[in-house]
Amino acid sequence: MTEIMIEVSDLSRNFGSICALDRINLQVKRGEVMGFLGPNGAGKTTAMRILAGLLAPTSGSVQVAGLDVLEQGVAARAKIGLLPETPPLYGEMTVREYLSYLAALRRVPRTQVRTAVERAMSRCGLESVSERLLRNLSKGYRQRAGIAQAIVHSPEVVILDEPTVGLDPIQIREIRGLIRELGGEHSVLLSTHILPEVRMTCNRVALISQGRIVADDTLEGLEKRAQSAGLLFIRLNNSPEVSTLAALPGVAHIESGEGGGWWITPHPQIDPTPAILRNAVEKGWDLRELSPASHSLEDIFVQLTTQEADPEAHAAGEMKP
Amino acid sequence: MRALCTIAYREWRSMFLSPLAWTLLAVLFAIAAYMFNAAVINYQLRLMQFQSYGGMGGGGEISLTEWTVAPMLGNAAVLMLLLMPLLTMRLIAEEKRQDTWPALASSPLSPMTIIGGKYLGLLLFLLVTVAMLGIMPLTLYFFGSPDTGQIVAGLLGLFLVTAAFGAIGLAASSATDSPIVAAFITFGVLLSLWIVAWMGDSAGSEVGKILTWVSLLNHYENFLTGVISSADLAYFLLLSSFGLVFARQRMVAERIRG
Repeated sequence: MTEIMIEVSDLSRNFGSICALDRINLQVKRGEVMGFLGPNGAGKTTAMRILAGLLAPTSGSVQVAGLDVLEQGVAARAKIGLLPETPPLYGEMTVREYLSYLAALRRVPRTQVRTAVERAMSRCGLESVSERLLRNLSKGYRQRAGIAQAIVHSPEVVILDEPTVGLDPIQIREIRGLIRELGGEHSVLLSTHILPEVRMTCNRVALISQGRIVADDTLEGLEKRAQSAGLLFIRLNNSPEVSTLAALPGVAHIESGEGGGWWITPHPQIDPTPAILRNAVEKGWDLRELSPASHSLEDIFVQLTTQEADPEAHAAGEMKP
Repeated sequence: MRALCTIAYREWRSMFLSPLAWTLLAVLFAIAAYMFNAAVINYQLRLMQFQSYGGMGGGGEISLTEWTVAPMLGNAAVLMLLLMPLLTMRLIAEEKRQDTWPALASSPLSPMTIIGGKYLGLLLFLLVTVAMLGIMPLTLYFFGSPDTGQIVAGLLGLFLVTAAFGAIGLAASSATDSPIVAAFITFGVLLSLWIVAWMGDSAGSEVGKILTWVSLLNHYENFLTGVISSADLAYFLLLSSFGLVFARQRMVAERIRG
């Protein structure tokens, strides 16, 4: 289960003088759903186009299932299924014709095309519309047809570029369920800027901002990290002098907060919590509240994607799992 | 090979699933039939004149094929020159415009398979078109004895010239994301190649020779007179290959350029 299906090393891509991707490194293991998260224009689509072999990198390499997408492009593309931002649908074809056509192009053996198409349709819930023209399908079904074409040839790697954009909540939930399901069998790289989507579907997250990977971790790891770096809020009935609190080990900075409480910025290496608790008991400060300021995924996202101006902060944001 | 045929078949089928091919064929046949009719009537007139003057002192005769089929095929080629850009503009540019291109480009296909498949589909369409145009000369067999060799050569010429149009159209379609722009480019290139021989006689002898050789019209006219020469065959094959290779190079370059 630890076989690496996507291996991106030092990938860069320039468009003229604009650097869209800057030395990106990324690994996706077999059966993993990797969320590729970033604001619009961060380079997600460029990275996915390179991975799918639609675009050549300026430097660096991409291997999919052990095949180099540049050197062994044709063979590598047989292992990839791509859903671009707009599903690539031929309006004049029926769902079945369309999937059969692409299955044939993607080297599904002639005798197995039918089975492969049936399977893709049933996984994506397309059976009821199999004989309808693609141009007449609703947005939700079009999106599903797009996913079906990405998996019809059972590729090792499925790349989905913002698969839930423009869908209604019920459709979104269904598509997310499908993506989770895909994870077991295929390795999935899912680009999105919708944060709850990541929480619901992904095992791991790579955060990309301005062409660079600023974080690559599990979701829990990411939240934990943000929390540990976050503020503590304490409220005491018999509050001592500020200087006493500030002198506690692990307290880097303190300022007053609402309701007579205090916001404590912890020291990066020392957790102030034990000291606060011990002193509160021993000195009768009468502790009413002690809570980490909870960081939502959104906070992490904003925090990590808006610190480019500060190179030091950027370096700190660079994490390896 | 299987992928090539699959693409060709879809391309061919999609032409007939849209009103495009039908409209094109309808317009082509309506005008070609009118021209053929006019040519036949013209021939009758000439024949009557010829007979009333008693054969112009006995020398020569008026060839049925020369006066009816050749002008019809000549005009059909000009019509195709006008219509082909509209047919070929979709081949690649429209896929890009409608965002279906990634489905092909991310499939395990070499650029030449995609280009070749699309071209093969187009050739199938042209084969149908030329075969149907061939029905008109067939009707002549009811009234006289046309020159079968000349008719076959003419039809072959029409197929080759339209195939070359198609390859150039495909190249233009690969060069832009806008079908209309592709159509303009194709039309411009084809018309230039068609009329380039006009300068042939007046330009210097060496330049004139080159211009005459480059001209589509000159090579096509040889076929219409019933002459199938390897030089003309080579010309059309060369022109078609050029179009295909250009389109392939564009595809490769696009991966790099983005």
